[in-house]
Amino acid sequence: MDKLHLDQHISQQFNLELEEIRNKVLSMGGLVEQQVANGLTALLEGDGDLGQTVSQSDYQVNALEVEIDEECTQVLARRQPAASDLRLIVTVIKVITDLERIGDEAEKLGRFSVELGGPDTGDYRKELRHLGELVKTMLRDALDAFARMDVNAAIQVASRDDDVNREYGSLERLLGTHLVEDPRQVSKLFKITWCARALERIGDHSVNICEYVVYLVKGRDIRHTSFDQIKNEFLQSPEPGDKA
Amino acid sequence: MSVESSHTAAPAQPSPATAHVKAGLARRYAAEKRFRLYGIIAIGASLAFLAMLLISIVSKGLPAFSQTFIQLDVPLDIDTLDIDAETAEAVQEGSLPASELRRANYNGAIREALRERFPDVSGRSDRRALYKLVSTGAQYDLARIVMDDPSLLGQRQTLWLPTDDEIGALVKRGADLTQADTLSTRLDDKSIAWAADLDANNEFDVRFNTTFFKNGDSREPELAGIRAALVGSAYTLLITFLLSFPVAVASAIYLEEFAPQNRWTDLVEVNINNLAAVPSIVFGLLGLAVFINFFHLPRSAPVVGGIVLSLMTLPTIIISSRAALKSVPPSIREAARGLGASELQVVFHHVLPLAMPGILTGTIIGLAQALGETAPLLMIGMVAFIVDIPQGITDSATVLPVQVYLWADSPERAFTEKTSAAIMVLLAFLIVMNAVAVMLRKRFERRW
Amino acid sequence: MNDILSPPVSRAGLHEEPTANTVLQEIKATVGTATVENPKMQARNVDVHYGEKQAIFDVSLDIGNNEVVAMIGPSGCGKSTFLRCLNRMNDSIPSCRVSGEMSLDGEDLYGPDLDPVLLRARVGMVFQKPNPFAKSIYDNVAYGPRIHGLAGNRGELDEIVTESLKRAGLFDEVKDRLDAPGTGLSGGQQQRLCIARTIAVSPEVILMDEPCSALDPIATARIEELIDELRQNYAIAIVTHSMQQAARVSQRTAYFHLGKLVEVNDTNSVFTNPQHELTENYITGRFG
Repeated sequence: MDKLHLDQHISQQFNLELEEIRNKVLSMGGLVEQQVANGLTALLEGDGDLGQTVSQSDYQVNALEVEIDEECTQVLARRQPAASDLRLIVTVIKVITDLERIGDEAEKLGRFSVELGGPDTGDYRKELRHLGELVKTMLRDALDAFARMDVNAAIQVASRDDDVNREYGSLERLLGTHLVEDPRQVSKLFKITWCARALERIGDHSVNICEYVVYLVKGRDIRHTSFDQIKNEFLQSPEPGDKA
Repeated sequence: MSVESSHTAAPAQPSPATAHVKAGLARRYAAEKRFRLYGIIAIGASLAFLAMLLISIVSKGLPAFSQTFIQLDVPLDIDTLDIDAETAEAVQEGSLPASELRRANYNGAIREALRERFPDVSGRSDRRALYKLVSTGAQYDLARIVMDDPSLLGQRQTLWLPTDDEIGALVKRGADLTQADTLSTRLDDKSIAWAADLDANNEFDVRFNTTFFKNGDSREPELAGIRAALVGSAYTLLITFLLSFPVAVASAIYLEEFAPQNRWTDLVEVNINNLAAVPSIVFGLLGLAVFINFFHLPRSAPVVGGIVLSLMTLPTIIISSRAALKSVPPSIREAARGLGASELQVVFHHVLPLAMPGILTGTIIGLAQALGETAPLLMIGMVAFIVDIPQGITDSATVLPVQVYLWADSPERAFTEKTSAAIMVLLAFLIVMNAVAVMLRKRFERRW
Repeated sequence: MNDILSPPVSRAGLHEEPTANTVLQEIKATVGTATVENPKMQARNVDVHYGEKQAIFDVSLDIGNNEVVAMIGPSGCGKSTFLRCLNRMNDSIPSCRVSGEMSLDGEDLYGPDLDPVLLRARVGMVFQKPNPFAKSIYDNVAYGPRIHGLAGNRGELDEIVTESLKRAGLFDEVKDRLDAPGTGLSGGQQQRLCIARTIAVSPEVILMDEPCSALDPIATARIEELIDELRQNYAIAIVTHSMQQAARVSQRTAYFHLGKLVEVNDTNSVFTNPQHELTENYITGRFG
């Protein structure tokens, strides 16, 4: 029974409150996803205006975080949720923290795109494209996994962090080489390194979200657990049968 | 947050339901008022009946508590008393007991005194009428006075002696004895004239009637007392209480706390309930057949009356005791049981003390019923004419309600007031019993 | 899996409650660990019948030393019945029949050698409604020791009463009026008096049947604190309707449903991650 029957409480009001929180988290996720996508586009296309918009829209994400936080506090105070409801609230509180951080990273991308200005020859920004796509997909899939409470998907998404890290590593080396070759571009290259770093962080936050999804559904905290162990425990049995 | 949004604004217009309720309100209040009125009327009516009853009994019965005395100058010389001199001397010296004087002609002395008071009266019938001014019981009073103090022999003594009931009643009433025509009495005019003369000279006195509380029954109203019946009632009730209370409480406890719930206990229960509805005279017949004819217990005795009345009282006490036991909250039983009290300890330490007020109430109701019961006692002979105060539970006795019944049956006018007085004594007895019950209840209830 | 993605449902007709039959089929065996090491009381495969009606189905549960076992579940789920079987309080109900094994320190509760009076002295009980005797505070506490002859003289009895009242956290409030009626105390004080009365007999196990259901939150908090302290010396089983209370006071929680023990586990995991769907539904307030 890996389901969260948010609509089956005796208290209809409670149902509505949980549903609203969940919907807000999903829309916050959508907003953050949009911010990351726009930030990436602005960066890669050298679209300073779009970058400006992105960095100025971050307040929306922050506002949503505060709002959801408040609602979660109220539910905790008024409903004393237990079991899956409790896990949902705890998960939401953590997920929105990570989403807000992702929002900050997106804002960073937007800001750097403004600072980097329009595209010019010998631009190294295109090196970021692959990492950016990787991270964007990862974030989208993590949010999907959260929306569907899909443990398998969550673990699968989390496992992609290795690719991101590998990509980031090679990017770092590449940018280092460029730095040595072309010392005039130091400040630009540093900014691009910062952007790569931001993208890598988004990947990390996405992994966190996936871990919360596993906690939410399975009631097990899998942070700081080796990946093989997690896979052994959750992925091998197709439909975990420990629920009576 | 959506929590707040669920609040809907109150409708400005009263809803149809409100209007409907409002329309019906007046009717509902009127019904309530009417019902209260019925209650007040019912209570008023019953109070009025009660007051009527009490007033009629008290007004009729009060005179019985007083008695009229006549002042006579009695010559106590041995000739008049018809005592031989030696005996008188011996008694006065103390060598013979005073009881030797019992057979003296005290009546003669009284008659002599009357003749001296009214020297004009002559003729047999007039004299006989004159003698009737004084109660036939006066000679016994005189005898007691003389026997108490033999030194009075040979002297003249001014004494107060009880009058006859007819004359006494007139004096008690404070009737104007000079107006013989206006008096409704069986006395002839001459007697009334003598009485008027005595009255004018203050030779009548109305005093508290101690005889009523000292004597047993008598054919003469002025001598009839309630004592025998009172003592008889007390003995009978004592027997009833001693028999019925323990038996009833024990059966109630067994049935309520210990008996298994099966057909037999159901049968017992039904029978107890039926027993409470059996007419009391049936118990009397039972007492006659079983206790007197079979066990040969003495007839007319409080012991038999008590046994019969306990049979009658038992179901009442059992039923009310069971109700009292049942009303003890089960949580108390559980608490005691949970501490490891045995069933008996649960009952005797906790349930019974809490049920005691209720049990006592039931007992008092049962005993009050027994106190007022006549029919079964008639069957076992407690209707006898009892002059002597019963000395024990096996002596012949009568009880208050039977005494009331007997006096109500007597033709003499003075017995009507005796009847009412006896009823008053019976009621007083009941009130005392209830007061004791209330006191006992208070005592038990103070233990929470 | 995807029900959470479905659009918000309209409020009416939101869920169908599962019928008793479908639910019963799901309860196959107790989930979690019903046993503890070195248990104080043991119940194995206990069935309880009231006449024809079966109230408890095959329940096995241990109560360990120095732990509080909370029993939760909807009304009529048999938790109180089970609790009352643990000190044979159901004996007074003629139609009640208990089968299976129940033991205290390995001694069969329903065996011929164990007297119910002795058992109740060893397994005390506190009830839902505070039910002090109609006696003074002192006599309330002294009653148990008196009937069992636990005190040799008045001094010893005083000692027991004082000690019990102190352990129940009531002594300071009533020390000046030990002769006052126990029924004159407030609800919470009465319940603590009942607990003092229970521990005055020096039981080994204390059973509590919804001890706080008639009390206000402050009094409840006091009792809960007391339960936590008593745990140092006794094995405690508590039936409660308040899940929060179970979560607060117990070390292990057992969830009963329709006479069956659905799940028993340590309280932390029951309240964060119950293993059985019925437990989950109950503690999160979804039907039941």
